[in-house]
Amino acid sequence: MKIVQTENLTRIYGSGETAVIALDHVNLSVNEGEFLAVMGPSGCGKSTLLHLIGGLDRPTEGRVLLAGQDLTQLDDDTLTLLRRRKIGFVFQFFNLIPVLTALENVALPLLLDGVPAKEARQRAVEWLERMGLGERLHHRPDQLSAGQQQRVAIARAMVTEPALILADEPTGNLDTRAGDDIANLLRQTVNQWGRTVLMVTHDPRIAAYADRIVFLKDGRIVDETLLTGNGDQQEAQALHERMETLR
Amino acid sequence: MSVRYAILGLLAQQPEHGYALHARLQALVGGAENWDLKPAQVYNTLARLAEAGLVCEEAVEKGGGPEKHVFAITPAGQAELLAWLQSEEVQPTLHDDIFLKCMLALSIDEGLARRILQTQRAALYRELHRVTTQRAEADPTRELGVILLHDKAIMHLEADLRWLDMLEARLDEVRRQPLPEPPMRRRGRPPKSFPYIPDRIPKERAP
Repeated sequence: MKIVQTENLTRIYGSGETAVIALDHVNLSVNEGEFLAVMGPSGCGKSTLLHLIGGLDRPTEGRVLLAGQDLTQLDDDTLTLLRRRKIGFVFQFFNLIPVLTALENVALPLLLDGVPAKEARQRAVEWLERMGLGERLHHRPDQLSAGQQQRVAIARAMVTEPALILADEPTGNLDTRAGDDIANLLRQTVNQWGRTVLMVTHDPRIAAYADRIVFLKDGRIVDETLLTGNGDQQEAQALHERMETLR
Repeated sequence: MSVRYAILGLLAQQPEHGYALHARLQALVGGAENWDLKPAQVYNTLARLAEAGLVCEEAVEKGGGPEKHVFAITPAGQAELLAWLQSEEVQPTLHDDIFLKCMLALSIDEGLARRILQTQRAALYRELHRVTTQRAEADPTRELGVILLHDKAIMHLEADLRWLDMLEARLDEVRRQPLPEPPMRRRGRPPKSFPYIPDRIPKERAP
């Protein structure tokens, strides 16, 4: 089952002679329970793709289907609701609120969604414990290491039980060891907690944790690689055919 | 052949019979999926080491099953092991089959060279995925050695992948240059008389 599908997804910034085509008719689908990495040089359109899929930006042309629902048809309020409930975001610079503790940061999306404080707190504690941060509940972000801050961010992304996690260079601000740690956690969100992860990265080491890698260049998909050998034959064949058309 | 020295190294810890030696050796190199060592290879190597006087048969264990020959390291074996441990180990860095394939493909068709790079990239990523997954499964409190071995593999694969990107980005430039040719060498005796006539005149200029 496809959880994400983009159809001719195109984003052009500016207009006329100064127009920049960030994304050029991209057709991409992500299966439920898949860990997909999107790679490419800076400026290739990776982040634009992620923002469009996450409903943070609207396409110039084409559409995004999230679990069959067309995001481009939704008004801003509905989109905000859908984003809050169906998608979890993880960013390069964590984007935690500095004056709140780890627990408060993680509980925040639930409180914004009207979940009673006690329940929100309980669910936040659960996710922080799963992230190995049971001892750090009341620390503020500046009292945590970079790797720990990113774990808080993953807990915050997971706490609303979204089907899809979008991660934009989640290890870009971490050293190798913390980066491996975070990539492992994202792997775990797929294997153990049954979520779908779409991650943008430029780091081969981190991309290798995924099930599949899509390579973007100049706003287009130029290559695609299936990493898990035990993927079913049909899928391998479909991929092969897609690659033939690309070539 | 490092299996020979690995056997000496394990026997330097304690005497062992072939079967147990194979199992310990296999564990030491990180399992059969990394480096598949056949029992026969271990037995044959043991026999050769015994012939060379580097190990000796210490005892024969008779249990319910077949006889087990227990081997121990000799002083000569210990000396040989120490010499090997202290010898330098630099893997060839400029032997590269991907490079070779790419250069040869370029002279046939640029598209082919690009497809070869894509194929290699996919293969390297699959291997990186395999090694990364294996590494994540290892227990850091007991198997740190194995984890560090995997780190080495991961670093090398990362470097190979980055290099592939670099090669791909500059393929156009490489294509404009001719394949490296061997330097022209004169053959036979040096000429006796002056004026010197080169013995290899390019064909189109030959009278």
